[in-house]
Amino acid sequence: MKVSQNWLKEYIDISDSPEDVADSLTALGLEASYEIKGKNFTNVVLGKVESCNPHPDADKLSVCEVDTGNGDLQTIVCGAPNVKAGIHVPVARVGAEFNGGDFKIKKAKLRGVESNGMICSGKELAFNNDHEGILILNTDAELGTPIEEILQFEEDVLYELDLTPNRGDCLSHLGVARDLAALSLQKIKQSKIQFKESSQQASDAVSVFIKDKDACPRYAARVIKGVTVAPSPNWLKQKLEAVGLSSINNVVDAANFVLMDRGHPLHTFDLAAIEDNTINVRYAKKDESFTTLDGVKHKLSDFHLLICDGKKPVALAGIMGGENSEISENTTDVLIESAYFNPTVVRKGAKILDLSTDASRRFERDTDMENVTHSLNQLTALIQQLAGGEILQGIVDVYPKKKEKTTIQFSPETCRNLLGIELSDKEIQSIFSSLQIESKAKSGTMECTIPHFRNDLEREVDLCEEVARVYGYDNIPSSQRYTASYAAFTEDAQELDSLLRTHLHSCGFHEHYSNSLFSESFSRHFAAGDAVELHNPLSRDMAFLRNSILPGLLMAAVYNEKRQEKGFCLFEIGAVHNTSPKTETGSKEKIQLGLLWYGDPALHWRKYEDRDLYHCKGEIEKLLSSCSISQISFKPANSQGFTTLLKIYSNKTQIGIMGIPENALLKQYDLKQAPILADLSLQSLRELWGNRKHNYTSPPQFPATSRDIALQVNREIPAESLLITIKKDGGDHLKKVSLFDVYQPTDVGETQKSLAFSLQFQSESATLKDAEVDSVMSKILDSLQKAHGAVQR
Amino acid sequence: MSITDQIQQVRSEFQTDLKSLSSENGSVDTIRIKYLGRKGLVASLFVQMGSVTQAERPRMGQALNQLKSEITHQIDTLETGSEHLAENHSDEIDYTLPGDPLSRGSIHPLSQVMEEIKSIFLRLGFSLAYGPEIDTEFYNFEALNIPKHHPARDMQDTFYISESVLLRTHTSDTQIHFMENHEPPVRIIAPGRVYRNEDISVRSYCLFHQIEGLYVDKGVTFAELKGTLDHFARELFGKKVKTRFRPSYFPFTEPSAEMDVSCIFCKSKGCNICKKTGWLEILGCGMVDPEVFKAVKYDPEKWTGYAFGMGIERMAMLKFGVEDIRLFYNGDVRFLRQF
Repeated sequence: MKVSQNWLKEYIDISDSPEDVADSLTALGLEASYEIKGKNFTNVVLGKVESCNPHPDADKLSVCEVDTGNGDLQTIVCGAPNVKAGIHVPVARVGAEFNGGDFKIKKAKLRGVESNGMICSGKELAFNNDHEGILILNTDAELGTPIEEILQFEEDVLYELDLTPNRGDCLSHLGVARDLAALSLQKIKQSKIQFKESSQQASDAVSVFIKDKDACPRYAARVIKGVTVAPSPNWLKQKLEAVGLSSINNVVDAANFVLMDRGHPLHTFDLAAIEDNTINVRYAKKDESFTTLDGVKHKLSDFHLLICDGKKPVALAGIMGGENSEISENTTDVLIESAYFNPTVVRKGAKILDLSTDASRRFERDTDMENVTHSLNQLTALIQQLAGGEILQGIVDVYPKKKEKTTIQFSPETCRNLLGIELSDKEIQSIFSSLQIESKAKSGTMECTIPHFRNDLEREVDLCEEVARVYGYDNIPSSQRYTASYAAFTEDAQELDSLLRTHLHSCGFHEHYSNSLFSESFSRHFAAGDAVELHNPLSRDMAFLRNSILPGLLMAAVYNEKRQEKGFCLFEIGAVHNTSPKTETGSKEKIQLGLLWYGDPALHWRKYEDRDLYHCKGEIEKLLSSCSISQISFKPANSQGFTTLLKIYSNKTQIGIMGIPENALLKQYDLKQAPILADLSLQSLRELWGNRKHNYTSPPQFPATSRDIALQVNREIPAESLLITIKKDGGDHLKKVSLFDVYQPTDVGETQKSLAFSLQFQSESATLKDAEVDSVMSKILDSLQKAHGAVQR
Repeated sequence: MSITDQIQQVRSEFQTDLKSLSSENGSVDTIRIKYLGRKGLVASLFVQMGSVTQAERPRMGQALNQLKSEITHQIDTLETGSEHLAENHSDEIDYTLPGDPLSRGSIHPLSQVMEEIKSIFLRLGFSLAYGPEIDTEFYNFEALNIPKHHPARDMQDTFYISESVLLRTHTSDTQIHFMENHEPPVRIIAPGRVYRNEDISVRSYCLFHQIEGLYVDKGVTFAELKGTLDHFARELFGKKVKTRFRPSYFPFTEPSAEMDVSCIFCKSKGCNICKKTGWLEILGCGMVDPEVFKAVKYDPEKWTGYAFGMGIERMAMLKFGVEDIRLFYNGDVRFLRQF
């Protein structure tokens, strides 16, 4: 909200600099920036364009001879479309300065023509917002007269406040003045409202009926007859324009003035449009339609509150008036409404229509029920002052149950303990009194009566905040002592994640954070279960919550492929979601670790191994063993989206998958080269890591013995099953098996292959004898023969 | 022929063989066997030592050993040299050739900032807690004293999944989850991903990351909140940084505050980043509102506490000078490599 300093000064004295005032407002919780209005230039004078010719070298420029009163003509190049000979204009002379010297006028050549000054627009002078052309003046003042003697530049400071939703009371000049007054210990200046009433009773002209008293606890009205609707006087126009409102006519502007002044929204009806001289406040019927004064026809719900006359709705209560009863040039009789509407009712109604107005914003934040008649009287007086007319006697005020003042029991001790400050009861009471909070001390506590304009203060703790706010948050000492309780310590369920990050980063992986919202089609790329759909997505492209970590990695791969990156590895740790009807949220969250290998390592004079599936398997084993996860195995399988897939196990638990995505899928991503993907369940990894054991065996004392064997087997037999057999029969002394060669000898035919293993035996208690090892070897070979038909070559 | 002559003859024959080897690229092993093998020429000379007189023997022995070591040395040199030649095709080893490109990866800047913030609070005795990204209105709003139809809901544009289920808009939901399952005292930080229904631009994204803090114990004060966060700001931004607390409004804290730090870019002189104010807005905080305690069945008469929350993206943008928030999420390795 914009607040004018001149306007504030009608309530309080301000002598501080704008910067200090803005700082004070910010320190009070009304975050403020400021802007200085008024004359902000030097050396701008009245000039007359004597001649105006097109620039020889530029279509949009004109070359003017301008008389600035010295008798001599200055050549000035001007780009405005409305420049012509014979007009009077403001001319910034060479040497003129704007904005305290930020911008200076110098001699300059514009496309070869020397220009000695500048003809100014209204915006350049900060006189108005017009930047379409130069400001043409209608004046008989002498040429060369300083422009500030012809145009009026009102000096003002505008504060832009970023208000929090709890401070509805500060959506007005009076409200802001009250807070500043509390800080500077001033009293608010109040002027008396004066007007004359006629003998005719207002209650004869209008009757008010409220159907739902919770939605509208108070409705007051006045009637003025015989007004003349006309444009507003300049002082009112300027005041409203300064705070960002545009002028409409004297009656409407008067209502807006009171709104900005006291913060209470009022509405003016054309009394001629009110049928049966009756105002009914009632809820709308479902699907009832109503056209607001902006010309928009709304379909209403049964929670919309309406102001109706004897026959029809005339306003959407607290939000906007109706087109059928707005003030027009022909209006002579005015009905003024000043009411209090329930904040929730207004908010609910405005929200569903997506209609936020100056009125609804204030009612939503709660208004001052006791201010209803004061504002009404203020507006009545102002309308009469501006538009004339006869004020009917009295207020029609339906106010069935007077609102009681809030009182709060306040313990200064509790306040001191909460804030951690030493502040005497007396100091606290003086803070309260600066805020117009009455406090009575009563055996250690205070009974505080809250002024009616501060309905955000409801509890003791709210008063503690008021104390802190006025005392100054910066004056509360920063505690130098540290307290904590041992009972507050808990375990970190995600401790493993940092370890994974460190490992993967040192292995050449870049960590990726992808957008976890994607389109429905992405959720079907992998066998990942049903994805959760958003009810109000930003777009169809982001309507689903990811159910797999892999699409985000693939999208990053395309992004980089398109930018000529030849080889990279990515990983991401993040949550994925599935629908799950039985849970409270209808969804289930899993945390996954995704890996992606793309392309080959950088070109280098020494050849590096390709990133093929075997390389990636090795990296996964290394990663898992770095988190103490052992007994890793891989089993070929099939799954949607993959041409090649391996399931990854630790012992018997499946912990993830890895593989190569199929070509059809790559096309959907527009990926030219196939990456290798892995998707690991972080929950499983965390559990396995949590159960890890720190066992150690002492290094062996006795030497090891090795045996190499070359086996010939059917090509179909997986290497993994041979390894399992070897390990099973190898006994305790078999410490290590390495598969060191896989080849296709020419002499064994197409159906056979040859595998070479190196076995290492070692005993903890003695040097193994050849005979012992040989007997184990023959047992192994025997089993290999029986189980897999493998023969030694 | 005397042994001395024979030694001389073997020596010159060896040199001839060596030369022919270099040009014809013959086998080093053949030469080794011819001269140094068990039945090689050098060994046969040693056999002849038996016929040498007692007086001559030491001199002859010395000459023979000399010959043997000469040949051994030259063959050894030849072997290593030939390996090198085969690989390099050059006469000298070039140690300026680049080393192996064992490139490192990177930890995401957001993870780095998160880790740094976590480590500061872990040193201050905070534990870690986590909440779900999909949550209910109760945890995200109502238990945090943000009832339906409250203007405070406008502060956060929310993605809904159904009428009462949503994507959490802040990590403050974790306060409720944690307090529901733990008796006080509580001292936690809760990092996580949150969502806002906002258009994607240079400054905003539909999701971001926050870290939440909560301390509930007997006699926790606003002064202590200030002390903790002052310490935090100095740890994160440097010893010289100043803080400013100003009143603000969050429905789940009362009093509520926002903490600014003196602008680290212009040393508070006023620049574009701090919008000429000299201050950077860093986090929101306050004393836990009694309504929140009631929602989790803590006795507000007995316990007090403070809470704070901050955006990781904002911290990372300030720390690394990143100007476009979208760089964090597109996986551009040219960006990531720099971290």
